[in-house]
Amino acid sequence: MNPLELTLGIMTAVGGFVDISELVFAAKAGSQFGYALIWVFAFSTIGIVVFSEMSGRVAIAAKQPVFNLMRHRLGLKLGLVVLAASIISNLITCAAELGGVALILNYLTGAPYVLMAILMAVVLVVSIWVLPFEWIERIYGLLGLFMIVFAVALVAIHPPWDRIAGGFVPQVPHGLSTKELLTFGYFVVAIISAVMFPYEVYFYSSGGIEEGWKPKDMLTNRVTAILGMGLGSLLAIAILASSAQLFGPANVDPEIPGSAALQAAIPFGKWGLIIALLGMFFAVAGAAVETCLANAYSIAQFFGWIWGRHKKPWEAPRFTLTWIILFAAALAIVLTGVDVMMLVEFAILFSILVLPFTYLPLLLLAGDRRYMGKYVNGALAKTLGWLYFAVITAAALAALPLYVLTSGGNG
Amino acid sequence: MTPDSRIKLVSELLDLPLRDSEGKYCGIVDDVELEGEPGKALELKALLVGPGAYKGRMPGWAMPLVKLVAGNRMARVPIEQVRTIAAVVHLDCPARDLGLDRSEDSAGRWIPRWGAL
Repeated sequence: MNPLELTLGIMTAVGGFVDISELVFAAKAGSQFGYALIWVFAFSTIGIVVFSEMSGRVAIAAKQPVFNLMRHRLGLKLGLVVLAASIISNLITCAAELGGVALILNYLTGAPYVLMAILMAVVLVVSIWVLPFEWIERIYGLLGLFMIVFAVALVAIHPPWDRIAGGFVPQVPHGLSTKELLTFGYFVVAIISAVMFPYEVYFYSSGGIEEGWKPKDMLTNRVTAILGMGLGSLLAIAILASSAQLFGPANVDPEIPGSAALQAAIPFGKWGLIIALLGMFFAVAGAAVETCLANAYSIAQFFGWIWGRHKKPWEAPRFTLTWIILFAAALAIVLTGVDVMMLVEFAILFSILVLPFTYLPLLLLAGDRRYMGKYVNGALAKTLGWLYFAVITAAALAALPLYVLTSGGNG
Repeated sequence: MTPDSRIKLVSELLDLPLRDSEGKYCGIVDDVELEGEPGKALELKALLVGPGAYKGRMPGWAMPLVKLVAGNRMARVPIEQVRTIAAVVHLDCPARDLGLDRSEDSAGRWIPRWGAL
């Protein structure tokens, strides 16, 4: 294991962890419920670590990404249903990320939102076309590390650390009305969905194959998943805690993605704001690229096409056309004028509905010794995997009623 | 081999990805062609690849939609061209020899060949 490569991999995972949905829901959760939802971020992070590590292990042991094997496990009919659902979920998520990036650019430059959306779609397409896979992953991930300013800002405002630590204990706040309790429930489901987005495992397992992971990289896979995602999650928790400290008492509802950046402006002024916006820009742009590629990976793998950005775009023509068309479709959704926050809500809702179908085949595959050999799920991975599968299934069943009853968490 | 294991072989073949002798992905086992008659052993003759092979596996009402979206192209891979079957079916010849590369080639006409590092 090359320590430099490993460090870069971890930093990339940290910088690439937060996306538009986490930004929005962390800030809103802190403002509405104080520190009481921190445990959901921590709990969901363990879930995404478990499934990412598993998908990386499947990629290494079976030398196949998740979707190739998913179709074999689920069959053509059910597989097509899962594929269609995941395409819709990833496409809406990609549109939300693209809209989010355009909004952040709008804050930074004052240029019109629509123009920024078109410009960013072109820039992102060109960057995927020109850059090799590792560069794409590293550039967005490493520049997303500007987000660390949120953690530094939290320290600078001297928060009540004992209350933050208390937030890691699973809890439901006392004295909530039924309506507030339902909203709390919706936030729990939304945070699980935002942290465990299905595109993340598709991208992670395909990325492992793009980078040519071999059995010797098993430890790299494990350490990157645990440290990279664990530390990345702390950034989301820092945003939640700052929001609880700054926005909650002032009755500020951080309705737009840019509100979170103000957390860095309060202790550090203009430069804090700029660094926060830059971090958000690269993190969300990286998520737009990941969702688009994850979608193209899924489609190509499902139908057995040549795929991957380790190849030149013309060496995998159907895969290339697919990610270009998907970016165009995401841009078209943004250009309809639909509100970014609404896209985020829809992305969260669709993703949680797809999550059980994403993770079940993965669990079955990783537990199948014929595919995995000696790298089959051990007792810990098996227990955690099925526990989280039960949780996301319950969350998926509750998502739609909670969304309707709370008008998307707005009470 | 018992009848049960033959049937299992077919069910386990379905939906596996194919890689040709050059290591390129070139489709999925969408269906299989079997040959036999009552009282005789059933023999696996070929793998069928492409949306045209969905016919036996999808409800009838879905096929016009499949045809509209993906066409009805189908290629036949004689079983003699299969080298190994594991998590992937490895073929003994290049995809182009079996007509498995036509869709990639058609898409390739739309892709410029410059600009990537």
